[in-house]
Amino acid sequence: MGIFRLFELGFQTVNKRIKVAFFLWVVNLLFSVVVIAPLYFLLQKEFSRSLLGDQMAKGNDFLIWLGDFIYKSRDIYPALFGWILVPMVLYLIFNIFLDGGVIGRIAVPAEQTNLSSFLSDCGKYFFRFFRVFVISAIGYIIFFGVAFRLISAAFRLWTENASTEWPLIFASNLNFLIAVLLFSLVRMFFDYVKIRLVVEDSNKAVRATLINFSYIGKRFLRAWSLYLLIGFLVVILFIICILVHRILPEAGVFFLLVLLWQQLYIFSRMWTKMLFFSTEYHFVINHPRP
Amino acid sequence: MKQKKVMRVLSSCVLMLALSVPNGTALQDKASILKFEIWVDLDDQNKMLNGKEDIVWINKTSDAITDMWFHLYYNAFKNERSTMLQESKEESFGPLGMKVEDGEWGWIDVVSIKLADGRDLKPSLEFIRQDEPLHPWDQTVMRVLFPEPITPGEYVHLQIEFQSKIPRGLQRTGYYKNSYFIAQWFPKPGVYEEGRGWNCHEYHLSSEFYADFADFTVHITVPENFVVGASGKQIRALANESEETVTYTFHQEDIHDFAWTADPDFIKVERDFIAEKEVSPEEYEEVSRSLWIPAEEIKLNNVKMILLIRKEHKNQINRHFQALKSAIKYYGLWYGPYPYETVTMVDPPFRTGSGGMEYPTLFTAGTSILRSKDVLSPESVIVHEFGHGYWYGLCANNEFEEAWLDEGINTYSTGKVLAQAYGPGAFPISLNRIPLNRFVKMPTYYDYDFDRAASIHIVELDPIITFSWKFYNRGSYGLNVYFRASTCLNTLERLVGQDTMMKILRTFQMRFRFKHPKTEDFIDVVSEVSGRDLTWFFGELFFKTLNFDYGISSLTSKEKEEFVRGVFDQDGKKEELTKKKIRKLKAEKKDSNTQNIYFTNVVVRRFGEAKLGGDATLKLKIVFEDGTEEIRLWRGRERWRKFRFEKMSKASFAQIDPDDIWLIDSNIANNSLKRKPFRNGIWKVTSHLFYFMQNVLQLVSGLS
Repeated sequence: MGIFRLFELGFQTVNKRIKVAFFLWVVNLLFSVVVIAPLYFLLQKEFSRSLLGDQMAKGNDFLIWLGDFIYKSRDIYPALFGWILVPMVLYLIFNIFLDGGVIGRIAVPAEQTNLSSFLSDCGKYFFRFFRVFVISAIGYIIFFGVAFRLISAAFRLWTENASTEWPLIFASNLNFLIAVLLFSLVRMFFDYVKIRLVVEDSNKAVRATLINFSYIGKRFLRAWSLYLLIGFLVVILFIICILVHRILPEAGVFFLLVLLWQQLYIFSRMWTKMLFFSTEYHFVINHPRP
Repeated sequence: MKQKKVMRVLSSCVLMLALSVPNGTALQDKASILKFEIWVDLDDQNKMLNGKEDIVWINKTSDAITDMWFHLYYNAFKNERSTMLQESKEESFGPLGMKVEDGEWGWIDVVSIKLADGRDLKPSLEFIRQDEPLHPWDQTVMRVLFPEPITPGEYVHLQIEFQSKIPRGLQRTGYYKNSYFIAQWFPKPGVYEEGRGWNCHEYHLSSEFYADFADFTVHITVPENFVVGASGKQIRALANESEETVTYTFHQEDIHDFAWTADPDFIKVERDFIAEKEVSPEEYEEVSRSLWIPAEEIKLNNVKMILLIRKEHKNQINRHFQALKSAIKYYGLWYGPYPYETVTMVDPPFRTGSGGMEYPTLFTAGTSILRSKDVLSPESVIVHEFGHGYWYGLCANNEFEEAWLDEGINTYSTGKVLAQAYGPGAFPISLNRIPLNRFVKMPTYYDYDFDRAASIHIVELDPIITFSWKFYNRGSYGLNVYFRASTCLNTLERLVGQDTMMKILRTFQMRFRFKHPKTEDFIDVVSEVSGRDLTWFFGELFFKTLNFDYGISSLTSKEKEEFVRGVFDQDGKKEELTKKKIRKLKAEKKDSNTQNIYFTNVVVRRFGEAKLGGDATLKLKIVFEDGTEEIRLWRGRERWRKFRFEKMSKASFAQIDPDDIWLIDSNIANNSLKRKPFRNGIWKVTSHLFYFMQNVLQLVSGLS
């Protein structure tokens, strides 16, 4: 089956499971609230009764209030840093949990999706996916700790004798592109491991990982093209988002439009996350192991 | 003795010729006490400079001088025991340290040093280290002894041969492949200060330079394919076909340093700054009114602008010239006409470490291939480095000891010129060297806002006036001498008024052109021009590490209690007002619609250690809910003061410094206090942070 047909199937499945994207969005929202709440209270303490607070509303005196805020908060930087870091790690782990629900719901197209069935799948697959996460960490270390470093070193050698800035621009962008592509490879690989665990209802993460080498190896170009196609869609969405963001007015009630647009974009990110899994699921179903 | 007399007569003639000012130049005040003639060959293959230097120096002091001290700056790159590289190793502000790779060292050797009569001074040569802490192996300052003292009014004529290995692009100078930027490259005498001796510091990591005004004639021989730019005016280019070289001769009077650059890939573009075209009569009139100077005295000179730019930046040629024109115009109008015939702007050769640096009549800018139009770069560096032609070039302060006098004043001036010529600039945003400002809406800012935000964090570390190498680290050096000094000057401007500030800087510039002013001179000019004794301002903000923070501590508005309990004398009788009676009286009052009276108490506090002095006061403004205002003045010496108001309305907010004079205040948020909170701005900022965090979390989840 061609990748565009797989994309279409994935697209249809995600739209039938749009509730799941909503769940993901809510979780993202709640975690963000937890991280940002102390900053809100700090800002409130410093500026709610100051005329600078009025200037903040008008978008003026950016450097004045920011300078003040950084200066006054200097003693609590470590605490703030910790407060931001811990929820980020928790969010990462929670997403391992959520991935189970996402793929679990995609894998049963006939069933209705509700919060309880979603959470049930989250719980069902959490430990399997956690093992995949641990294995994937090895994958990331190999790719970014070794392969990417070697590539970066090669770029450094290439630009060491550059006579102009152009090679530096090409090299840093090429380097960045390679990093993104390497990341997409590792991520795609472990997406398929997770999908295999769900489709085969298996607990054996290591075995699924090993099998995946030959499975992806044989269908690499097709699988990666599909992955990059959705990646391309993510980039397009991102560009649309910032371009629209740029033209939206922020004054008065128009600011509500900005908020709405921001949340729409975050929701679209959840939707594309599901689209990755969904197309990969259809890929596995339509390209069974012999 | 006879020989000495003959030498004196001959040298007098040489000196008189050398120091004569051509008629019709803009240089009114002959400042030079030195004359240099230098011949230098660039050995491209070995990265060497072979030079000969003729120096004539006149003793204008009343001291008999027995020795002469020279800077040998290139020896800073000789080994890791030089003061600069030692300081770099000890630098706590990591990214600002520097590292020399194997084979990239630089040095300078004085091959010979003689008096013009042939007497050899080299046997007396010794290296001097006097700056604390001592670096006993440093070789960036040398001293030679004269056979007999140079008496007041006498001159000395020296002939030096030197050889320099050019370092690979390092601190302001060096080479990369066959591109060169050559600065601080020849043996240069220190500054003799009457009664105090030679002021000749080692080359430090966090320090720039100090030298006497001189007339330079420099002959630079380079391979014929090189494009050369240098301080001053090119007066000759002689090709030597057999050696495939060209010797360029540059000449400039009344400058205190000489730098040059050579690169086969430079594009050289020349344009003229025609004062008549660039400045309208109305603009002259306007400045004339502000400065109380006749418009004729403000007239600018025409200037030949020379740009040496790398090929890959040639699409920015107009941008470079536009910025330079703005700088020549506004520095000229506000602080005095640019007195030289030429200015050379160099797009620094790739990887020579020479960007963003000033030399008399020549400066290096700095740009990159992809630049956003919204971001004022390279404009800001062009304006700033040209501005140093005024603050360092003409008013030649000692950058080792009082760096703020050029960096601080020039950072302030740069902000003024950029604001006038361009308005606010946008924050840059880029990904992998690709600017993204076209796509992402970034906040804009004026330099004074940036300077303040950068410098409020540094106040308790070092005073602005500190020897450059004695700052806590390079971060403190930079933030204090550039940004904190600029913020203080912006504060001073708001305190004395824009026109007065312009008069102060113009007076300082014109009075100390071709001289070596000190901080005390600046303070004297400030007090003289403003008509106020502002010594305290500098005492608190420049010489000490005192935080400046005034604020509103509390604001309350309470209804005046018209009826209070107790026994009162009424018509010769004692009458008790009980709770019950009070309730009744209040009800009657309510029915009669009598307006309430409110007591408003405002407590202002001096949270910081710095305090106002002289005739300075802080303005306190209280705005009431009925729209009325009250203004009070507070001298701000004590730690706090309470102000009380009896009004028909409650207070809406209280604000000290409502005119935003005290930009140096480290906490502007507490300058105002509203009775009721208003959270719209906080919601807005938080929502942006929230959205940002949502995206960050989404990225993090990609690892799951």
